[in-house]
Amino acid sequence: MKVLMKPIEMIAWFTKDKNPIPLRYRIVDENNLYRVVKVDKVLFAEEEKLAGNRMILYRCESTINNIRKIYELKYEIDTCKWFLFKI
Amino acid sequence: MKKRIIFHIDVNSAYLSWEAVYRLQHGAAIDLRDIPSIVGGDESKRHGIVLARSIPAKKFGILTGETIYSARQKCPNLTIVPPNYERYMKASNSMIKLLEGYSPYVQRYSIDEVFMDYSYNSEKNFLDTAYEIKERIREELGFTVNIGIGPNKLLAKMASDFKKPNRVHTLFHDEIENKMWPLPVDELFMVGPRTKAKLNKRGIFTIGELAKLDREYIYSWLKKPGLVVWEYANGIENSPVRNTPLPIKSIGNSTTTSYDVDNRRESHMFLLALSEMVGMRVRNLEQCGRVISVSLKNDKFYSYSHQRKLSIATNSTNVIYRTAKKLFDEMWQGEPIRRFSVSISEFYSNEFQQLSLLEDYNEKEEILDKTIDKIRNKYGYNSIIRSCFLHSGVRPIIGGVVAEEDYPMMSSLL
Repeated sequence: MKVLMKPIEMIAWFTKDKNPIPLRYRIVDENNLYRVVKVDKVLFAEEEKLAGNRMILYRCESTINNIRKIYELKYEIDTCKWFLFKI
Repeated sequence: MKKRIIFHIDVNSAYLSWEAVYRLQHGAAIDLRDIPSIVGGDESKRHGIVLARSIPAKKFGILTGETIYSARQKCPNLTIVPPNYERYMKASNSMIKLLEGYSPYVQRYSIDEVFMDYSYNSEKNFLDTAYEIKERIREELGFTVNIGIGPNKLLAKMASDFKKPNRVHTLFHDEIENKMWPLPVDELFMVGPRTKAKLNKRGIFTIGELAKLDREYIYSWLKKPGLVVWEYANGIENSPVRNTPLPIKSIGNSTTTSYDVDNRRESHMFLLALSEMVGMRVRNLEQCGRVISVSLKNDKFYSYSHQRKLSIATNSTNVIYRTAKKLFDEMWQGEPIRRFSVSISEFYSNEFQQLSLLEDYNEKEEILDKTIDKIRNKYGYNSIIRSCFLHSGVRPIIGGVVAEEDYPMMSSLL
């Protein structure tokens, strides 16, 4: 996996007790077009607080261009921003 | 009394490590700690000094506090990153939070230094705990620390300074002779360049040589401060680990302007902007101060100051500003000024007040100040400003590195 750290637009499901669950996001591709990706499965989520900055890291699985891909998303709690971290 | 076990936790190149970790968390490919890099102020605003350096930058001979210009001459491909104090506060707070799990006595000594009293936990070996803390900080928070352990705060602080980074050191009374006494005398806490020069003149070059002097001799020579450093050299110090901060004795704010200010009107504006900050801080403490002082640094880097005692204590922005303005007018020689500072001291509680026949007391002003503070706390510092700052290029409130949050400053008191 390569580090990308690209900001993305996200639809997530905020639950009563667990971390927010990413459902679907869109990203601007190299042709400047929106691409929507559905998150098929969250393999695991863990919180990190490096340098005191809390982020939740998600390892996810999606089908992109008919290929199953595993990648990582990050949610920064203080800024409420989502990133495509690694793919 | 039971033997005390004090920890001193010191973050290795704090600002730089925190910045490096933050960047790695945000997907940076390079770890700033592995390349010659510094955290430095903005040169165009004349804040261009080195605030923190990486260990590779240290190898180029770059010093903390020197100008970025000279640092760049020592190492042309130096990476320079701007400071971000809010991020540092976050990192520092996360460390305090982790430490509070180990002892109820945790004292934040500065943004990157913490004292912790571990005397009360006899179940677990203190060395095991120290290694556990060091590893947990590295794993969970991503940066490295040095931990010094001693029977008091002074020796713990000396120990954490021994060999860096990412280490645990001890310094108990029986180790002083081997570990601390061979060090040069200016390594000792509170021995600065001036004291060092005085001591060197009389042939004292190491901490051991200072420690072995006669107590009466050092007192007759350097008086009370001499006695303090002599005691430190002998490992004598017994202040408690304070988990409540010491009472504040004075409040002041200063600013280095981005250009030299050469006219009275603009100078007054800078004084007003600083008075706004000082006033808000005093009111926040629920105190009033009686002594106002102003200090200036001119374009030749020469500093001078003036102070005045008021007949009634005040916490009003307007009174502080009017006094500061008067002081400025009395001492200013008309030369360009590069740095202004305003401070207030000799505090009284503002619960009740002795009024004076000779000075005005305006209750309306007090209510106005209070209201403005409330608005600013709710909607931000710039929600309400004085109209003279509009389109002036001077910020309406100046002072402090983190607007709207208290930044822990270094102190000479342990």
